[in-house]
Amino acid sequence: MPPIEADGRAKDYWRSIEELYDLAPGSSRLPEHVLRTVWDTLSETSRRQFLKALGASIALAGLAGCRWPKEEILPFARRPEGRTPGVLVHYATAFELAGAATPLLVTSYDGRPIKVEGNPLHPFNLGACDRFAQASLLELYDPDRSTTPVERTPAQRVTRTWEDFAGSCRERFSALAARRGRGLVILAEASSSPTLARLKAGLRRKLPEARWFEYEPLSRDNEREGTAAVFGVPYRTHFALDRAKIIAAFDADLLLAHPAALSYARQFAAQRTAARGEMNRLYAVECAYTVTGAAADWRFPLAAGLIGSALVRLLAELVVNFDLALPPQAGNLGARLTSALGSPLDGLQLRALAGDLRRAGGRGVIAVGPSQPPLAHALACLLNEALGNVGQTVFYTPEPDPERPTHMVAIAEVAEAMRRGEVDTLVVLGGNPAYDSPADLEFADALRKVPVSVHLSLYEDETSRLCTWHLPRAHYLEAWGDARTYDGTISIVQPLIEPLFGGKSAIEVLSMISEENPRSGYELVRETFDGSVQDPDRERAWRVALHDGLVEKSAFAPAYPAPRWEMTGEIVGKLLAQNASERETLEIVFGESHASFDGRFATNAWLQELPDPLTKLAWENAAIVGPQTARSLGVETGGVLRLSYRGRELEIPAYVMPGQAEDSVFLALGHGRRSPAGRGSGFDTYALRHSAAPHFDRGLKAIFTGRRHRLACTQEHHLIDALGQRGEAQRLGRLVREGTVEEYRRDPEFARHRVHEPPLRSLWQEQEFSGHRWGMAIDLTACIGCNACVIACQAENNIPVVGKENVALGREMHWIRIDRYFSGSVERPRVLFQPVACHQCEHAPCEEVCPVAATQHSQEGLNEMVYNRCIGTRYCSNNCPYKVRRFNYFNYHTHPPEIEKMLHNPEVTVRSRGVMEKCTYCVQRISAVKVRAGNERRPIRDGEITPACAQTCPTQAIVFGDLADPQSRVAKLRQSPRAYAMLAELNVRPRTHYLAKLRNPIEEEKSA
Amino acid sequence: MSAVPAVAVDNTDVAPGERPPLVLGAHDFASVTDLICGIAERPRPTRAWYVCFALSAGLTGVLVAMVGYLFWVGVGVWGLNNPVSWGFAIVNFVFWVGIGHAGTLISAILFLFRQKWRTSINRFAEAMTIFAVICAGMFPAIHVGRPWVEYWLFPIPNQMGMWPNFRSPLVWDMFAVGTYMLVSLMFWYTGMIPDLATLRDRARTRARQIAYGLLSLGWRGSNRHWHRYERAYLLLAALATPLVVSVHSVVSFDFAVAQLPGWHTTIFPPYFVAGAIFSGFAMVVTLIVPARRFFGLADFVTPYHLDNMNKIILATGSIVGYSYLIELFIAWYSANLYEQFAFLNRALGPYAWAYWIMVTCNVAVPQIFWLKRCRTTPWIMLIAAILINVGMWFERFVIVVTSLSRDFLPSSWGIYVPTWVDLLTLAGSFGLFFTLFLLFCRYLPMVAMAEIKSVMPQSGIYLGPHRGHGQYWGEIPHQHELQAAGGAEENG
Repeated sequence: MPPIEADGRAKDYWRSIEELYDLAPGSSRLPEHVLRTVWDTLSETSRRQFLKALGASIALAGLAGCRWPKEEILPFARRPEGRTPGVLVHYATAFELAGAATPLLVTSYDGRPIKVEGNPLHPFNLGACDRFAQASLLELYDPDRSTTPVERTPAQRVTRTWEDFAGSCRERFSALAARRGRGLVILAEASSSPTLARLKAGLRRKLPEARWFEYEPLSRDNEREGTAAVFGVPYRTHFALDRAKIIAAFDADLLLAHPAALSYARQFAAQRTAARGEMNRLYAVECAYTVTGAAADWRFPLAAGLIGSALVRLLAELVVNFDLALPPQAGNLGARLTSALGSPLDGLQLRALAGDLRRAGGRGVIAVGPSQPPLAHALACLLNEALGNVGQTVFYTPEPDPERPTHMVAIAEVAEAMRRGEVDTLVVLGGNPAYDSPADLEFADALRKVPVSVHLSLYEDETSRLCTWHLPRAHYLEAWGDARTYDGTISIVQPLIEPLFGGKSAIEVLSMISEENPRSGYELVRETFDGSVQDPDRERAWRVALHDGLVEKSAFAPAYPAPRWEMTGEIVGKLLAQNASERETLEIVFGESHASFDGRFATNAWLQELPDPLTKLAWENAAIVGPQTARSLGVETGGVLRLSYRGRELEIPAYVMPGQAEDSVFLALGHGRRSPAGRGSGFDTYALRHSAAPHFDRGLKAIFTGRRHRLACTQEHHLIDALGQRGEAQRLGRLVREGTVEEYRRDPEFARHRVHEPPLRSLWQEQEFSGHRWGMAIDLTACIGCNACVIACQAENNIPVVGKENVALGREMHWIRIDRYFSGSVERPRVLFQPVACHQCEHAPCEEVCPVAATQHSQEGLNEMVYNRCIGTRYCSNNCPYKVRRFNYFNYHTHPPEIEKMLHNPEVTVRSRGVMEKCTYCVQRISAVKVRAGNERRPIRDGEITPACAQTCPTQAIVFGDLADPQSRVAKLRQSPRAYAMLAELNVRPRTHYLAKLRNPIEEEKSA
Repeated sequence: MSAVPAVAVDNTDVAPGERPPLVLGAHDFASVTDLICGIAERPRPTRAWYVCFALSAGLTGVLVAMVGYLFWVGVGVWGLNNPVSWGFAIVNFVFWVGIGHAGTLISAILFLFRQKWRTSINRFAEAMTIFAVICAGMFPAIHVGRPWVEYWLFPIPNQMGMWPNFRSPLVWDMFAVGTYMLVSLMFWYTGMIPDLATLRDRARTRARQIAYGLLSLGWRGSNRHWHRYERAYLLLAALATPLVVSVHSVVSFDFAVAQLPGWHTTIFPPYFVAGAIFSGFAMVVTLIVPARRFFGLADFVTPYHLDNMNKIILATGSIVGYSYLIELFIAWYSANLYEQFAFLNRALGPYAWAYWIMVTCNVAVPQIFWLKRCRTTPWIMLIAAILINVGMWFERFVIVVTSLSRDFLPSSWGIYVPTWVDLLTLAGSFGLFFTLFLLFCRYLPMVAMAEIKSVMPQSGIYLGPHRGHGQYWGEIPHQHELQAAGGAEENG
């Protein structure tokens, strides 16, 4: 197939592994046994064997029907068209997390995917990508993934084949069909896949008494419930942040922990350049510090249980002080609103927000987080409606599957049904309910009562161990599928590699159990696609969808349902009643883990080692407490707390976080897994979760046990010695320069006046740079600290993972890090993020001190590290003012499993022990583009080279280019009045410049 | 060993203009030879020596094990991290190089300045220099990430066509320490040749005869030999003298040339040299006070010698204390935020305890040497000297570690905690040092016999008004003496 050229990037696509073997369309499929051989060979986790198999399968493409000598690696007999060995090819696909897809473009090198990036053609993310999707690549090559179906009896664990399973389920399901499916329960993780929905409908038709439940531990169902309450049916709320002037986030982490975060982050950041002196303003009222809170111009820490009251107060401010007229159906709320204005609410003042929202004239957004109760969402809907935001910055789409019970109800029902013995066959499609269901349901015990239980998952995890059958799941990069982004746009999930361990996808397993003739994933997805596509030329439409990575016009249609205003009084009353609940005990708050989401990524070393943006904790979770609460508990960071809540106890170290709401303990879910894969990273907070209050609740008691636990932080926590704090505070304004938008209007060059630099002259002849002069600009206004760049860099540059102990020692290897600083008071601190990678100084201090000249300057100004020459004196690191050099204290690549080596980017050296390394501006990408442009005899276009960090940045905060070209974006940004070089006074002449951070504070805090 | 009790005679209290005797007791040339050679000639050393040697050799074994472990696993066995990429290894390196300096100062500079009291202690101190430099040189060699390619540091013509980076202070260091080691070794060995010949002549066993015979290079004590020898010694002294200043200055460039706040300081070269001499003398005192007692050398290492050394300790210690003050003053006066913080952080930050150990040991402790009683009482000076050694080790720790742990960007601040491997390697380096030293005490003449005889009255101390202690080999006659001799004397 000829690749379709678009956007200067060669892309290729293919439909199935089988297709590669077929010479001509319509030719017969390969004999089963040959595929079997290939399959079996792949199941061995040996790269040599993989290559052998690769050679075999590719050669088969040319020589189908020949007897194949398996023992030899043979070159291509004929080169498949459009394929050059060693040339990277890109395929569009999609990654689905908790029912929302991220469109991807995956890079493949000689048949193995090596890098996951966002799909630049997809309007949802335009090439940006979050940490989870990028790190999912590591999961693909994880040798701990399960490799065969396993059948368990109470006595033993028996390894089976897929045929065994197929045989056993044929029996089982024909019996079930006779009973119309009674006794069958399917528990699936959330999925947006149209194919899955189609198969589900088919199953329902065939087995009408079978029950289908959906469960996600980090559920967004409260929003469904809330919208259902005001609109009658559940709706999904969407924001157009690029049009919003005022954004109010109530416990809502719109910029990171939202299915549309990639899109929102870009829209949000685009409105903060103050290009025309205008800038949006973000208010955040939240319990735990989130990146949205850090990006906010005004943030107030408030216990999660009081957020609803805060919304009522906002309504009251709007109605009482800003004359917001509610429709008459809303009734008379007068007394309630006055009392809402009178309640203390920890000193929360929302007058500024209310005024701003009113003045925004419908270009405001009120967003409420998924952990807030349905009523809060309902009130937000009413507020958005009353302010006229709906239609301008807020719109709705109908929720798919409106009938399903909420996730918490579903899981409770499944547990109850199992306990009552109503379930004789349980099929768990993904998910890990034995680990991540609320502790009070005792799901694991109930599961033991089920005669036949089947669990499909990537790993043999906690649930697998309790089920009678475990089926290895195919990774999404190995199997066909489809998924929708948050806005409903369908993407086809196309595989890039044969299942390495012989897994099957959820739709394939569903087809196996529900259809007489199980079909392949490709056939299933294609059927769904063909059934929905309008284009008469389906083959062409399919190819376009595969190439572009999206199905045009498949997004949900916006809806503007009319709210039931008459509910206002009830909502307000109930939300105010929450406020009255007791405050004697602490509040327990559960939330998503930055590293493992709900626990599914606990095995992913990249994510585990990725420091949390706010706490900078890696490998573990902790009980996040505010400074005052910590003082009253007598605990410091690292002190182990014993938490007791509803009769359950958990010991977990505390982490004192300025800006965390006081009397409120935040616990990230998804750590402390018990199965061998993923064990030993943190503490299992699901042990305290109760199905009655899965998000937050009062009634938590905490005492300090007196023991200490060593937490691994990549940055010293904030509450260090007074001297250190003072030293930090003194220099912070020079390092991370920020100003208000007014200051910027008055003096655009304010950032340059923060430091008085002496005349920066050199004592000797300067090095002349000719040709390209690579440089980078990082906009601190745009950076939200989401960590996407860190994972991108890790994947691109073969950066090793060092483990918790070494992180605790300060030996993490990330080439780019996000520095987090606090400013302001400890009670209401502001957080500043600053990405720091090698600045590629023109007067590089590291170069002068290396005794063996292992780090040198290139003509284009890159500070190059010659790994082969490095003897490891580490002097360069000592002399680096930015401390961006990373040393291989051990051989972090000692004998990796063969399969992990497949992950490595072949363009980047894998560094050995005793060698210094650091950011190269992705020199391999620069070289690749230079070669391509050279071959095409044309100059390099601006933006053609993007380092991995810049490529993935959701807010496009990082811009790379040629400073020698005055028209390049980076050169223009360098000319921006906000541009400054950090530590320029050392005369190191960094090639990376920052653009000062702009804030848009409210009137009352302008002076701060 | 015939343990000679410490002499009660006080030769430190002399009237101005008079010179105190440098050898006490009723010694003649033969008794000096007997006493000093006797130590090396004993068939079996004392039980105390065996105990000490067993301990030291055991620690050396630990050192070998630690280095083996380090090479096998990687530099990560130490507590290093980012930002603190240099830790104990570099601290120990600077510490041991500094120790060496007293030996060179005593043997070369005091020689050129005709401080005749040096003869009793110079052999001893030079041996200490050699062993200290061996310990020092080991650390840069083992601390690199890939020791197997360390030879790339040397300017050896190679197939890569690569020279080392001559801009790097580490390359300067390599030259400086290498030169120092070579010159010190030559100087020590050259000075020992006449004494080795004496041992050879007295040797009773075949093995000793061969060993000392080879080492003494056929020395027969002829006039011609003495003449060549004295010229060579003088030249080597002249060569070694600048090294006293240069080596530690170059070592200080490792820090001063870097731009790290707390390292980037112009005062470092003199400050380091003073500190080196300070610590070196403290180490000489630490070694010689027990040695003179155990080996009965009190007649040669008299209270006068000890008094002089302690005065030097007091002087150099005061320079070091002054440097600490100047550092603080300059940090304040610079008005440089990072510089100011670096020094405040030393005194008040997480490593303040190390800083105050350093100040106490290096500035407060030597002040006791204003009292003569302290300068002449062996046990007091021994304790003080040990404390000064501790203080000087901590000085290097403070410079290396505290500066690195908190540099420009607060995000990168970090704490370095040594691991057991760090600690055992440090202990092992002491083991190596003392093992070598005990072997030296066992097999080589601890006091320069030929030299010390020249400062005894029997050598003609009555000749010449300016001589003080008599005709000194290697010394050029004064003009007026030549004239007095009628100009007939040939100038050789």
